[in-house]
Amino acid sequence: MGRLKFWLAIGLIIGLAAGMANAEVKNPDTFIFATYGTVRTLDPAVAYDTTSSQRLWNIYEPLIFFDGGHTDKFKPLLTTEVPTLENGGISADGKTYTFNIRKGVKFHEGQTLTAEDVVYSIKRGMIVDQDGGPSWMPLEALTGEGSTRDKDGNIVPGIFEKIDKCVEAKGDQVIFHLPKPFPPFMGILAYSASSIISKEWAVANNCWDGNIANAAKYNNPPMGQEPLQKIANGTNAYKMKSWEPSKEFVFAANEAYWGGAPKIKTAIIKYVKEWSTRKLMLQNGDADRVTVDNPYVPEVKEMKNLKFYEVPQLSMTAAFFCQKINPDGNPDIGSGKLDGNGIPTDFFADVNVRKAFLHAFDRDTYANDVFNNLVVMPSSPNVKGLPYHKDVPVYAFDLTKSAEYLKKAHGGKVWEKGFKMVITHNTGNEMREAAAMMMAENIMSLNPKFKIEVRNVEWKDYLVKYRSYMYPMFLIGWGADYADPHNFLYTFMHSKGVYGRYMAYQNDEVDKLCEEGIANVDPAKREKVYHRLQDLWYEEAIAVPLYQQIVVRAYRDWIHGYTPNAMLMDANEMLMNLSKQ
Amino acid sequence: MPTYILRRFFFLIFVLFGVSVLLFGILMTFSPERRAAAYVTTPQQAKDIPKIIKKFGLDDPFYIQYVRWIKEVSRGNMGWSLVASRPVGEAFWRYFPITLEMNLYAAPIVIILGIWLGTVSGIHRDTWLDHSTRIFAIIGWSLPTFLFALVLLMVFYGYFQWFSPGVLSDQLTMFIIDNPEQFTRYTGLLTVDGILNGRLDVALDAFHHLVLPILTYVIVVVALNMRVMRSGIIEELSKDYVMTAMAKGADKRTIHYKHARRNALLPVVTVAGQLVAMSMEGSIAVEVVYNRHGIGWWLAESATQLDMPVLMCICLFMGLVFVATNLTLDILYAYIDPRIRLN
Repeated sequence: MGRLKFWLAIGLIIGLAAGMANAEVKNPDTFIFATYGTVRTLDPAVAYDTTSSQRLWNIYEPLIFFDGGHTDKFKPLLTTEVPTLENGGISADGKTYTFNIRKGVKFHEGQTLTAEDVVYSIKRGMIVDQDGGPSWMPLEALTGEGSTRDKDGNIVPGIFEKIDKCVEAKGDQVIFHLPKPFPPFMGILAYSASSIISKEWAVANNCWDGNIANAAKYNNPPMGQEPLQKIANGTNAYKMKSWEPSKEFVFAANEAYWGGAPKIKTAIIKYVKEWSTRKLMLQNGDADRVTVDNPYVPEVKEMKNLKFYEVPQLSMTAAFFCQKINPDGNPDIGSGKLDGNGIPTDFFADVNVRKAFLHAFDRDTYANDVFNNLVVMPSSPNVKGLPYHKDVPVYAFDLTKSAEYLKKAHGGKVWEKGFKMVITHNTGNEMREAAAMMMAENIMSLNPKFKIEVRNVEWKDYLVKYRSYMYPMFLIGWGADYADPHNFLYTFMHSKGVYGRYMAYQNDEVDKLCEEGIANVDPAKREKVYHRLQDLWYEEAIAVPLYQQIVVRAYRDWIHGYTPNAMLMDANEMLMNLSKQ
Repeated sequence: MPTYILRRFFFLIFVLFGVSVLLFGILMTFSPERRAAAYVTTPQQAKDIPKIIKKFGLDDPFYIQYVRWIKEVSRGNMGWSLVASRPVGEAFWRYFPITLEMNLYAAPIVIILGIWLGTVSGIHRDTWLDHSTRIFAIIGWSLPTFLFALVLLMVFYGYFQWFSPGVLSDQLTMFIIDNPEQFTRYTGLLTVDGILNGRLDVALDAFHHLVLPILTYVIVVVALNMRVMRSGIIEELSKDYVMTAMAKGADKRTIHYKHARRNALLPVVTVAGQLVAMSMEGSIAVEVVYNRHGIGWWLAESATQLDMPVLMCICLFMGLVFVATNLTLDILYAYIDPRIRLN
């Protein structure tokens, strides 16, 4: 019996070894990516999530795209040359952009690309403007408006006329007319929402008919009823072969692609929710790449036959202070008074309180313990990788200083009476939970009268509640729409920015600088503006910058060709670049 | 009997009405903002929440929203599934066959194995056979399904690579995609469709992918059936008629299997019926771990994302399933025990 057990053990070890050994390349013509993002739609005018963008960027092409790993340099795709001030493609006043359209490009269903297709695609991308969609980006740049509808859902008068006039075709050229200079415009043109579709095909599939007088009919279709929700016809190196929603998406190579046939002939993106299942697929070679969440990075790095890329994302998470909390039925502020059992609604309006919390955040320990130092600790919202980034001072971890500021806060009453409040974070996000716990514990350690509870709230509820000014502190992140400081600094600091607004933060100098930055095309002037804004972020102690995430991509070592780009999030995979050997 | 059946189905309308009102009412306790947030995924999109509320009338009174929903359902429009990115009705008929296929094979095994083990265990009470089956039952019932599924996957896929997750191999999936004219989806059950299309390789491959999920489900669930059967057998064997039959010289086999087992079946039928009904909701753990996108997986995703139309659809479906199951059980009772009359 002992001998039998011995040989069984040997057999098991050999089996294990065989399982782990780098056997020949599995599925040599096929790239398999196991992930858990779901595709909502294939309509470029509507898709506004990274998973859908991945599909679109492989099927369709915009005029330009990011050049290699650069977020602020572009290469021509459906244009023959990237317009610049130097080559005259961008006018000196920054309001006119001219693109020469590439000839001889065919759509997958046979139509030939023309300048008219480009004009149609751009206009349609703004006319559709579905709630929650990406149309606001081209609308802001090309019409100066953020939406085709007002807050009551009525069409903004004259908006479609503005759309009609902002882009035109002249022969093989497409000319954009901006109402004012908009530096991030090129980044917007690289986004999947700016994908070029065939006008003929689109109209035949019940899209806008090209007549601006009928635009309202095609505006804001109900979710799922956008005409291109599940069909696709692009010019890129891959076609959609099949799509089983929330199960798998299959790409097939476009052998007639103008840029040359791709090396990978088939790509399958599989929806696999469970991490263990994804890990085993990667191990066995049944997946060439899988999505790896941060907590699983250490165990993946122990696996053999893989290669890894650490890619900083253009994103930032911060802990925001609400300076005017909504007291109506709000359990997070206790009594609503500075009496030891609550906080007043303007608790964080006092800069001393904010500075105290900033000094209570131990950046080094956080980076080490939560991220194993696989993170960038930002100093301001203009994160590394964005133009005009600079490292500004941070509030070093110092509980003595925290105590000093709290003793000064609200005329000394905070220290004398104590307070009670809640810090919330979204459920399941361990990074944010750790940050909240750290600040809570450190502040409470200063004075037994300080009571802070950390609570988790489901993500959808979180999205709603912080927008009702219900949370004294809310922890949330922002991913880049385009690689420009405006997308972050306006969002985090302007009184009408997505987060600035819900902090009830108002600073006229900040607002003026944000508006000045976006209206200027001179890089030197923009640099001055954005450097000053980053300084103000520190001086005003607006919020606690928590982390800029680095994601780890894990591939089987037989996959080659991936180029990291901070604008292309983890869900993204540019198949054209890949090979398998 | 036909009148009885018709009357039971008539009451189905009231059951479904009650279930839908109850669930709708519960979902209405979520604020309009919360329900609108189901349509957004990023902070960038959140600015459109007020517009979404207005567009879908999410702040209308309960009865207006309910009537609107009933009107749409009566037109066959169950709504749009955010999780599935397609109409709820269409998504249901894609996901339900996956769950049904597993239950088609697992349910008979659970029932037959449970009855057999319970009978054997009850007859050989307090012997090593009884103790073994009881230990097996306790371990099986106590095992967290999720954990057990992961262990099986790690061993039989991760190490031995004998089985793999999913419903079909990539090669056969690509064949079906590439040759839609050569493979018709008659039922959605790949083991059945494979045979109907004359593709035994597809049927066998699909069954190959069912082995681990069925094994997981059976081991965890059979324990309950087994325990109930065992209790029933023990109770029957202690009754006077058994002693009388033995005294009269009837052989043990006839007593145990023809008389005692049959009399002990009623509670087992009840439990088995409820298990089968509940299984139509899908086993979330099994479907997630083995990457089989059935009703269980869909329900779990929809619940976490508050995909309301899906939740309403599945609740209505389960209402229908339980009414049909209970009716079937009542008919079976009458068959098993002739003293029971349907009226």
